Amino acid sequence: MILTRLARSGRGGWLLLVAGLVAAFALPWLIYPPVALDIACWALFAASVDLLLGFTGLLSFGHAAFWGGSAYCTGLIALHTGMPFPVAIAGGAVFTALLALPIGFLSVRLSGIYFAMVTLAFAQMIYFVANQWRDVTGGENGLQGIPRELFGLDLSDSFFFYYAGLPFVLAGLFAAWRIVRSPFGRVLVSIRANPDRARALGYPVDRYKLQAFVLSAALAGTAGGVFSVGHGFASLEGVYWTTSGQAVMMVILGGIGTLWGGAIGAALIVQLQDFLATAGFAETGIITGTIFIVVVLLFRRGIWGTARHLLITRRTPATPADVAAEPKKSVDTPV
Amino acid sequence: MRVTGWGGCLAATGLLLAGCGGGPGGGDEKISDGKVVLAVLNDQSGIYADTSGRQTIEAVKMAVTDFQAKYGDKAASKTIEVKDADHQNKPEIANSKAQELYDRQQADVILDVPTSSAAFAVATIAKNKKKVFIDVGAASTELEGKQCNKYTFHYGYNSYMLAHGTGAEVTKDGSKNWYIVYPDYAFGQDMQKTFSAAIKEAGGTVVASDPTPFPNDNFSTFLLKAPNLDPKPQVIGTMQAGGDLVNLVKQYNEYKLRDKGVGLAVGLLALSDIHSLGSDALAGTRYTDMWYWNADEKSRAWADKFHAKTGKRPTANMAANYSAALQYLEAVQRGGTDNSDEVVKQLEGHKIEDMFARNATIRAQDHLLLHDAYLSEVKPSSEVKEPYDYVKVLKTIPASEAFQPRPDPACRL
Amino acid sequence: MLQQAFNGLVGGAFYALLALGLSVIFGMLGVVNLAHGAFYMLGAFGAFIALDAFGLNFWIALLLVPPLLGVAGIVLERLFIRRLTPLDPLYNFLFTFGLALILQDLVKREYGVSSQPYPRPQELDGTVDLGLFTYPAYQVFVLAVSVLMCVAVWLVLTRTRVGMIVRAATERPELTRGLGIDVGRWVTPVFGFGIALAAFAGVLAAPMRAVNPLMGADLIITVFAVVVIGGLGSVFGSVAAGFAVGLVSALGNLYVPALSQILVFILMAVVLLWRPAGLFGREEAFR
Repeated sequence: MILTRLARSGRGGWLLLVAGLVAAFALPWLIYPPVALDIACWALFAASVDLLLGFTGLLSFGHAAFWGGSAYCTGLIALHTGMPFPVAIAGGAVFTALLALPIGFLSVRLSGIYFAMVTLAFAQMIYFVANQWRDVTGGENGLQGIPRELFGLDLSDSFFFYYAGLPFVLAGLFAAWRIVRSPFGRVLVSIRANPDRARALGYPVDRYKLQAFVLSAALAGTAGGVFSVGHGFASLEGVYWTTSGQAVMMVILGGIGTLWGGAIGAALIVQLQDFLATAGFAETGIITGTIFIVVVLLFRRGIWGTARHLLITRRTPATPADVAAEPKKSVDTPV
Repeated sequence: MRVTGWGGCLAATGLLLAGCGGGPGGGDEKISDGKVVLAVLNDQSGIYADTSGRQTIEAVKMAVTDFQAKYGDKAASKTIEVKDADHQNKPEIANSKAQELYDRQQADVILDVPTSSAAFAVATIAKNKKKVFIDVGAASTELEGKQCNKYTFHYGYNSYMLAHGTGAEVTKDGSKNWYIVYPDYAFGQDMQKTFSAAIKEAGGTVVASDPTPFPNDNFSTFLLKAPNLDPKPQVIGTMQAGGDLVNLVKQYNEYKLRDKGVGLAVGLLALSDIHSLGSDALAGTRYTDMWYWNADEKSRAWADKFHAKTGKRPTANMAANYSAALQYLEAVQRGGTDNSDEVVKQLEGHKIEDMFARNATIRAQDHLLLHDAYLSEVKPSSEVKEPYDYVKVLKTIPASEAFQPRPDPACRL
Repeated sequence: MLQQAFNGLVGGAFYALLALGLSVIFGMLGVVNLAHGAFYMLGAFGAFIALDAFGLNFWIALLLVPPLLGVAGIVLERLFIRRLTPLDPLYNFLFTFGLALILQDLVKREYGVSSQPYPRPQELDGTVDLGLFTYPAYQVFVLAVSVLMCVAVWLVLTRTRVGMIVRAATERPELTRGLGIDVGRWVTPVFGFGIALAAFAGVLAAPMRAVNPLMGADLIITVFAVVVIGGLGSVFGSVAAGFAVGLVSALGNLYVPALSQILVFILMAVVLLWRPAGLFGREEAFR
């Protein structure tokens, strides 16, 4: 109710932003700090996938290559140069952007399921390299003992490290939000809605897609870097295709094209995994699978998307800003 | 959402303060939090769920019962709890869960932890938190090498034991020429290296060795290649595990390679794998195991107790976890405290003799448990007298030969 | 060498059967069925259960299990898939992904993760002399049956009226509808048929492969690559690509074992970059 009134007042956006920030800062007080950091990292990862899926119309099934690739790169920088971890994370993000350039260049020519499959293929190749190049990556054993160096500050406590890692995640989310709201983002949305028309209007569609792909990869890389420093290791799990699948799952759960929905999906799935680990119920697939099916059958807008839809339909008249924030309707329409 | 957020914040702050208030007072007591907590962290839902999984928790509980029965009122701690968590085969879940078990569940020791990447992650946490970690499930020798630390112990088996025992003994038995197939990841690569070294040392030759995709369901290429190699291998050494192993053995039998004079030796074989294939499919296959439930009276007696509790026969991993839990509790008893440094001191160099660990010592330099291992052979079904009795022990490999003879110089505790 | 090529074809037979089912389903419904691997697994478990609980041998299982699972597929289509087909294909992609997770873990709950024992049928225990070399009889049987199956499907598709409608609807859905043919009537049976094919492959796999809950999940990613290489929705393409990928991976194992793990993906990437709709696919089917 309060939310509806807030939304109606037109300042809902700001209040939600404040609420979100408060939630982000309060998280390690409410739940176990390492889990809180996982949620933050996955939230940014999900946002990066949503940037492609929800705003450019590209379903990447290979984003694990960027998340995991950056985890290795960040870890290697921190491990071998002893540089403070923010430098290492930045290095990881730059590395993934560079990695995304050729992959994106070759992939964006395809669309739909073909794009998903070819990104998956590239991610599998990265997985293969990480598995084979044991001297550097540690192979199956993973890259262990990544330090949390920051000018001699003691960050070994996960509670404090959460606040050291959070700025990266927030900066990443802010960047994603800026991209979506920029003229560049509007072009992406138009490409998603109708690539042919965008092309006819004179936009170099593939170049826009490539730029979006690289930006998205850099965000995923930032998230992966924070994750690897937070856990102190990088593993093959990070570059495996199930990781890509999990990020997509979070986006769907939260709501495609909502950007912040991914954070809710991330919170839910990470918490669920954490809970199931000690619940004594081994068949996690039954629960995650059911959630999936229920969301797909009943809440196709996802959690955030459904909530926003309810708010918007109750409110009259809609402000222009909110109409712009509802770019996902066409997903529900027949192909 | 905002309101509950702040409320939660306040509540959490309150709890934290309360926790801090209670903290310093607890420093002096012999048993932290007034109880000893054993935590089993392993794979309860993935591919290792049947070799250790939830049954291992039962084995650890049996160790607690036996310990309490032995010491009664004299036990160093009145309360002993067993907690568990499922790492779902993901190192990052192992990492967060290990922190949570030590921090929030007051775990004094973490047990099991299969897959090397997860084991290394937990070892790092154990080192940082100065808490004991006894790994059973991981095979990597790096756990007592580059990745070793003061609080981490490796208990039961490793790739050296698996590969060296089988490689050396089968070669000495007359199968000089080997063809090795191994899954292309760290475990397989380690096994291939150790196996080859052991074979050469024993006077044999590795004719060829091939990496295979992982996971893989079609091994025909390698099996067809085997008899045509020059010189013809007398034995195929496979480092596959679980479902891949089952695939390989089924196909090995289809090509009737045993009739063509090409035997089979397996790097890592679990009781559950033999059950899957039926013992005839593997009859005559040799491998090294750390324990077998029907090897002698002592192990049999324990296996019967386990069977009475769970209705199943224990795998070697479950027995190893029982022994690890029991020896941890014994160390607490000897030192009179669950303080990690004291427990480590009590465990280092300690000689152990229980139903699992025979002629055993925990080597002080690298925290590796040295104990007798067994060269075993799968029996044909005609010799199987009762369910799950698939194996006969051919030879005991003495503790001094079963594991690395010298600690890895890369290990600095 | 010849023997190795033959072995590649046997491996390819499984890819081809699975890819064929996936392809007709995709063509008719536009559904990328991620649960296909789970139905392959259920086929193998069906054979195991038939033997273990009812004492029915391999041959009966081969006749019985695929139609049963096909019916299950029909029910599934009627209840759920149908509601999602008018929407973005993404939703069925996700629905079937969730379904695969559930099926896999239900089986895991009942039978554990270890493989279940399943013997080869006695009639096919020996080896067959194929002139140039001898080969295990069962594998020869698998190849022969799969080829026969693919040929039979091909004949049905090309020689019967039903087949022509299905093929037309698969390869040019809009045009077929435009001609006033009621494609909708054939959607459900085709889905059931695709599932039955997966189950058929599963029963065939039981005697020679590890029967465990993960057997389908391990395979399905490769089969997807196969379908994409052949061209989604192209019936001939998926069968041809199935056998080709089987050959390539067998020879890859032989000559470049270190690379074999990703050979299929390299192949897929190359094909897609060269022909964005796959070898036999049609560009406009996906725009």
